[in-house]
Amino acid sequence: MLPLPLANILHHRLRSLLSALGVAIAVCMLITLSGLARGTLEEIAKRWQGVNADIIVYPAHWSDNITTIGGGGVGRGDLKMLKSLKVGGKPVIDYLVPICILQGKVAKVNCNIVGIKPEDFHLLIEKPGKKLTGRIFDPHNKFAKWLEAKLTTPSEETLSISRAELARRGGLEMVIDTRLARSTGLKIGDKVYVAGHRFKIVGEIPAGVLARAFIPLATAQWLMDLSTGRYTLIFAKLHNTSTMGDVIRKINTTSRLKATSLGQYRNMLEARFGIMYLYIDTVNTITLIVAMLFVLVTLYTIVIQHRREIAILKSMGATRRFILREILTEAMILTGMGTVMGILLAPVAGAIIEAFLPLLTVEISPRWVLISILAAAGGGILAAVYPAWCAMRMNPAEILTLE
Amino acid sequence: MSNSNRYILEAINLHKSFKAGEVREHVLRGLDLRVERGEFLAVMGPSGCGKSTLLHLLGLMDKPDSGSIIIDGQDTTYMDEQTQAAIRRRKIGFVFQRFNLLNVLSGYDNIALSLKIRGLDTDGIDRLLASMGVAEVARKSPEKMSMGQQQRLTVARAIAHKPDILLADEPTGSLDSANTQTVLEMFKRANEQDGLTVVMITHSPTVASAASRVVYMKDGKIIDGNT
Repeated sequence: MLPLPLANILHHRLRSLLSALGVAIAVCMLITLSGLARGTLEEIAKRWQGVNADIIVYPAHWSDNITTIGGGGVGRGDLKMLKSLKVGGKPVIDYLVPICILQGKVAKVNCNIVGIKPEDFHLLIEKPGKKLTGRIFDPHNKFAKWLEAKLTTPSEETLSISRAELARRGGLEMVIDTRLARSTGLKIGDKVYVAGHRFKIVGEIPAGVLARAFIPLATAQWLMDLSTGRYTLIFAKLHNTSTMGDVIRKINTTSRLKATSLGQYRNMLEARFGIMYLYIDTVNTITLIVAMLFVLVTLYTIVIQHRREIAILKSMGATRRFILREILTEAMILTGMGTVMGILLAPVAGAIIEAFLPLLTVEISPRWVLISILAAAGGGILAAVYPAWCAMRMNPAEILTLE
Repeated sequence: MSNSNRYILEAINLHKSFKAGEVREHVLRGLDLRVERGEFLAVMGPSGCGKSTLLHLLGLMDKPDSGSIIIDGQDTTYMDEQTQAAIRRRKIGFVFQRFNLLNVLSGYDNIALSLKIRGLDTDGIDRLLASMGVAEVARKSPEKMSMGQQQRLTVARAIAHKPDILLADEPTGSLDSANTQTVLEMFKRANEQDGLTVVMITHSPTVASAASRVVYMKDGKIIDGNT
């Protein structure tokens, strides 16, 4: 014979589907919201870890947390010192990439804009699978050389560099990542105002490395009012990563600079946004409670609809355990169906969110998938036990007379 | 023969009231009834006289405010719910006017479920269904059956576990005369051939005439025929 819980589900297909869908929405919501909250910060961490370098060097007077670093705290002298750095008598630095980080808006989207030399861009940012389309800005450093000459030759002209000249010499060119392009609709050849200047988009890079927008280092320095020898920080690539600990220790103890591994950036983000994680976890907990209430209400409604059936079972002498088992089994089947649907829906929901809001990242974490499964199962059992307990206490005579 | 052997069902000084809004309505007012083993009893009376309430109390589906119900010599007054459920499982079968079949199951599975609850095997279901004339529709949901077929299925479910007592509440109330006759014949056959005790509530004197004894109720008491 067909088990009664299964018979109920099959007989009331639409109701069962809607109930499972209710659970699915709750599970999907929980996974997606947790994934969205953590995914966006995780994506930033991954972008920083995605550069072709091993350590970050920054001014020692900066706080221990560089996630909001700006300005021009390191200089050419620091670059020279780092280039000649030796550990155990051997040179350890393969290459150094100084960058400037500028906070700005690109087509109304707030983002970090990284100033970098064109040749360093290829070194630090590009890698297999992340190749530039279009072209790099100021490809032959003509603008950088012109600007440096201009700034180092004191004259009246120094103070009166026109926007038209900046643009003509390639200084107002920009490379953006694919996510920013999708989010803003910008494409190669388009013009966009950034920091009061009209930049031309000349290239597009697959998202996932360091920043969303890149401009010539000289332009960033000029926009930040820095001299051409000042940088926000320096990325260093080591000959041998096994020397990383020694290199960091040496920089930290013998210079006015501080160094940290790229892996530390994630910890810094977590430390900086610790309060935000608390907020995220609070939101997730509320979502979890709402999800469980949703499951409870859905299953309670089903049990209420089973009153007559329970009364019939009682008239046949069904034990409390039998009735409880039937109700729990049906609740668990529906919850299970809903949970599976929710888990399958979550990546789809994430993809939809990322499609419509490309700067957001939904990262489905196995931890939250597990939490969602446990929450749905717990919610399902709790949700079914209470109405089942009510059902077992019902007076069958009354129900069979009235319903 | 001692009383406990002679009477399979005894109701002694039963009182039952229900709260209807602010008012408490006394439905049974000191009712006494004895049903002999193997008897076919019809209970008649006007609407609201407490016939269905009596049947629910006799079937241990509800508790009286006071008084006792003795089933097969066992006083059920102080029995807990689980023990009462065990008596329902073993000794009692119900037939309701509105059938109370589970539409989510097939006719066959309705009977199989009844037997499963009672811990019995399902081997004889097909034979039973055939004897009730519903074998050909047994795989359908009850809602796809005629009223007569549904009631025959209800009777089959009620007697499948071979109970001692069959309690029927207006079993022919929804049926035409041909189906009424069929159901009554089923009751008679179960009563005469298998020794099943039948207590049947009815409004109809014609239906009641199928019983070996008829009692009349009025204002919550038996007023005639309680011997």
